Amino acid sequence: MNAFRKALTIVAGLLLAAGTMSAHADAMQDIEAHKAIKVGMLVDFPPYGLMNEQNKPDGYDADVAKLLAQDFGVNLQLVPVTGPNRIPYLLSGQVDLLVASLGITPERAKSVDFSEPYAAITIGVYGKDDVKVTKPEDLAGKTIAVARASTQDTAVTKVAPKSATIRRFDSDAAALQALISGQVPLVGCSNVCYLTIQKLAPGKYNKKFELSSQVQGIAVKPGEQKLLARINQFIDKIKANGELDKVNEKWLKEPMPAVLKKK
Amino acid sequence: MRQFGWNEFQLLVFAARWTIILAIIAFVGGGIGGLIVALLRTADNRVARGAMIVFIRVFQGTPLLMQLFLAYFGMAIFGFTVNPLIAAMIALTAHASGYLGEIWRGCIEAVPRGQTEASIALGLHYFARMRYVVLPQAARVAVPPTVGFLVQLLKETSLTSIIGFVELAREGQIITSVTFRPFLVYGLVAAIYFAMCWPLSLVAGRMERGLARATKR
Repeated sequence: MNAFRKALTIVAGLLLAAGTMSAHADAMQDIEAHKAIKVGMLVDFPPYGLMNEQNKPDGYDADVAKLLAQDFGVNLQLVPVTGPNRIPYLLSGQVDLLVASLGITPERAKSVDFSEPYAAITIGVYGKDDVKVTKPEDLAGKTIAVARASTQDTAVTKVAPKSATIRRFDSDAAALQALISGQVPLVGCSNVCYLTIQKLAPGKYNKKFELSSQVQGIAVKPGEQKLLARINQFIDKIKANGELDKVNEKWLKEPMPAVLKKK
Repeated sequence: MRQFGWNEFQLLVFAARWTIILAIIAFVGGGIGGLIVALLRTADNRVARGAMIVFIRVFQGTPLLMQLFLAYFGMAIFGFTVNPLIAAMIALTAHASGYLGEIWRGCIEAVPRGQTEASIALGLHYFARMRYVVLPQAARVAVPPTVGFLVQLLKETSLTSIIGFVELAREGQIITSVTFRPFLVYGLVAAIYFAMCWPLSLVAGRMERGLARATKR
């Protein structure tokens, strides 16, 4: 864990402590009273979150957020956040909830409450065809690129042997660029990013092994039970009526992953 | 994934307006704050001097990134939901004041002590002494380090992306994430930063020559 991330974690922890001390009004009531909901989402994580040609937030997350606001019957305000600052945005009350491709991990569940999963990404280690890697132990002595503070960062850090060098970049795009320009032989990234690698350099890179399949949840401040129950009701609805399938088809060109269907 | 085109170029140039707005806020806030810090730091009053030493140590010794973070998220936790612009204003002003205060303190102290003594002998009060004797001479030495710091500050405004500003560097990141053309995008970002910083250096050179003429003996 690098110093910047550590510092952010500490500050986020302090914010959380302060936040739980001051008794807060019910978020669901706030949303209904103001007839508006502030949703934090990433804008540099296509196809989940991106800025479109009109410079407006768009993507899988934006579509889910739009459906949610429609279902709640309130106005939607999308707030662009970044990977490292999204949890502070939520805990400090700058946004009501996050539809920010936030992977559900036990670590994160300590600071935020997650809804049922609304999206899934499989992440793995990808690299040049001639690099022989089939399991985590093979990473010994090799260099692997990841996007800083991402789920793949945590996963690679966990499984990689001590002699592996993990190079952390600010975004997936920078990590992919390092791979394609030949600075690193391997990258830890998602199935989504792999599609991009294939577009940029077809046929040169393949999947070495899968790290995990990661489900993502909508996150709320800890203790917002009413809001969370209402979100889960919404997610059940869009899973059942096919709207989530449509969002998957639109952005990922495949139906809703099976991992989302089981309860 | 989409192509980098005219539209994306315009977005970059348009995002530079935040860099300019934030830099102006930092320059003006830091200029006023820095002058106050420098004057108090060179004052006869020990309490004022001590307080300014603490202020300078705190703001030089902590990263601007953390100052921005605490000004925005930290205050929100205690019930003051601040607008990001206000938070940026507070953090950038305090940061710039800390540095400029110390730079200008050095410049004020570089003016020979005899100048102050002579103006006291002439019966000039503190305000007149500073306004007509000490500061004009200090200003001449102050130009190069001040401009150096301001150029650095302009580039440091990119840190405000932590509290949600989509300024030049952040817009570059966002566009890179959809176009996957980092060399082109960051190359342009660097060129736009250069186009903003270079005129500052030119103006500084001219000011320096002007001041040198004015104070030539």
